[in-house]
Amino acid sequence: MRAFLQRFGEREALLALGCVVSGLVFSILSPYFATPDNLLTIARNSTELLLIGLGMTLLLGIGGIDVSVGSVLGLAAIGIGRLLEAGAPPALAALAGPVAGLALGVVTAFVVIFGRIPAIVATLGLLGVYRAGIFLALGGSWLSGLPTGLTNLLAARVFGLPVSVLVIALAYGAIFIAVRLTPFGAHLLAIGNSEARARLAGIGVRRVQVAAFVISGGLCGLAASFYVATYRNVEMTIGATLALEAVAAVVLGGTAVTGGRISLLGTAFGVILLRLLQNGLLLVGAPSLWQPVLTGLLLLLVLGAEALSRRLPLERLRQSAVGAAWRTGAR
Amino acid sequence: MRPRVSPILAILGLMWVVVVAGLAVLKPTAIALSTVTAVLQFSTILALVALGQALVIVCGGAGIDISVGGMVSLAVVLAMLLMKAGLPGVLLPVSCLAIGLALGLVNGFLVTRLRLLPLIATLGTFYVYSGAAVALTGGAAQSGVPGFLLPWGRGAVRGLPLPFLTLALPVFVAAGVVLHATSWGRWIYGMGFNERSARLVGIPVDRVRLTAYGASGALAGCAALVSLAWLGGGRPNIGQNLELTSLTAAMLGGIGIFGGKGGVFGVLAAVLLLVTLQTGLLQLNVNTVWQVGIVGTILLIVLLIDNLALIRRTS
Repeated sequence: MRAFLQRFGEREALLALGCVVSGLVFSILSPYFATPDNLLTIARNSTELLLIGLGMTLLLGIGGIDVSVGSVLGLAAIGIGRLLEAGAPPALAALAGPVAGLALGVVTAFVVIFGRIPAIVATLGLLGVYRAGIFLALGGSWLSGLPTGLTNLLAARVFGLPVSVLVIALAYGAIFIAVRLTPFGAHLLAIGNSEARARLAGIGVRRVQVAAFVISGGLCGLAASFYVATYRNVEMTIGATLALEAVAAVVLGGTAVTGGRISLLGTAFGVILLRLLQNGLLLVGAPSLWQPVLTGLLLLLVLGAEALSRRLPLERLRQSAVGAAWRTGAR
Repeated sequence: MRPRVSPILAILGLMWVVVVAGLAVLKPTAIALSTVTAVLQFSTILALVALGQALVIVCGGAGIDISVGGMVSLAVVLAMLLMKAGLPGVLLPVSCLAIGLALGLVNGFLVTRLRLLPLIATLGTFYVYSGAAVALTGGAAQSGVPGFLLPWGRGAVRGLPLPFLTLALPVFVAAGVVLHATSWGRWIYGMGFNERSARLVGIPVDRVRLTAYGASGALAGCAALVSLAWLGGGRPNIGQNLELTSLTAAMLGGIGIFGGKGGVFGVLAAVLLLVTLQTGLLQLNVNTVWQVGIVGTILLIVLLIDNLALIRRTS
């Protein structure tokens, strides 16, 4: 068990446990929580954040960040919406999302890497530019009541699984393979640890950085396809909270913001825990206005507890009499 | 380490002239004393918050304060709720400041004691503060600011708004003096420039950083007070987008994102430029969402020009 845990990683295990425990608590408190419909809703609400979080994991891994991801999703969603309005085939519209995302990812990469501006500042500037772009493209009104073609396409089932589940599994699988089995992963983490040393070691630093930003952009665009398929409208404030939520979920998952350590599984668990808590608290009657407070507290509690456990002499506590009593009691 | 005019400030000055000249050509009626008053009135809140942001960034160690807007909102809301709970109205300025300071110290505690990365710690408190401000009020504006504050908040002397004249300007002068003429100020630059060396020579890095976050909170509290006195009510979303605009102002003002670089008067100049630009665009009936885009573009262009100059110098 211990060996398994160590392989699995303590953080991932903690988050999985958090999901299970909070799931149990909510199903006791609310009869509506543990219904297939509601669990499907949670999965549905997690789709975009799972994809965006995956890209954000890579970005944080190289010591970067992108606070404009929500606006990239928004711009891609507008492109998809306009295509649907113009009567384009749904498959084309679905593909337009990732393509638009990739293109915007190239722009972001260009500004950050070739402009030599720190990622947080550069993407903050881009956030403003993209937001204005969304306003311009929407012309002050919403896209609503879009044709159902894309919705039907992405609601289809392949081998009995919803398309969204397959796409997410494929995306995580592909990135996992790239990170674990190709030099890309090692290069990514090396850059995150120290860009200067990675450069000295002969790693094509810029190529890896560009790749991370472009992949992240593509995933945002992919998320946009699912967004439009589900909601069939695009409003001005689309994706406004996504960037912060993505950073929160990824950091919860054990990825180091300073770079050099990533966990794809942790990101997935972080997103699911976040959405599960948001859903559950709503069902037990907590006003939805408190949701951001919860997100922030969760982030601070998990990281704070980790920081404290690093500082406290836990080993000594475990060996002391009190610790022994607690251990026996716990069993 | 002699202070010199940074290229960014020169670019900003040039831009300011262009904006004012453009406005004079496109809408000559806008060049009036009332416009100056409006610009300074709008500038006051941003200037106070951006100063706090700048202090935190100059301290280095990846310092940043995402929660500034949340602190302003929550200070406004808590101060009004405290007053409704029976705190005398005379104490409103004090409670604004104290609440801001306390919220800022929470950030400082998370960063210096728990050693959380500032971006993440203040991201967490941003959610908590701004969320709590909306949740505690249900999103409704809180009215009932004591009458004695309004003449101060809305008054002007020779076209200069009182909050700007009596709060923002003195605070900036004080910050400038503290940063350049006291050991505390020199410590900030020292630790921002090279934290390891700063620790080795005995600068109390953690304590200075804690103070900087506290100062950022207290300044957010001041901004909250200004907004209350000016608007006559507390809006729970008053701090919205301040994290972005204050960061933009700090960057435009020549504060180096890696710490140890930049001065407070650059920040003030950047705030005045940004607000002049926004007011000018408003006069020309340009939508506010556009302004975000223009602010973002200016930020990127100025930084690109600055970097190009740097690259040329080093090569």
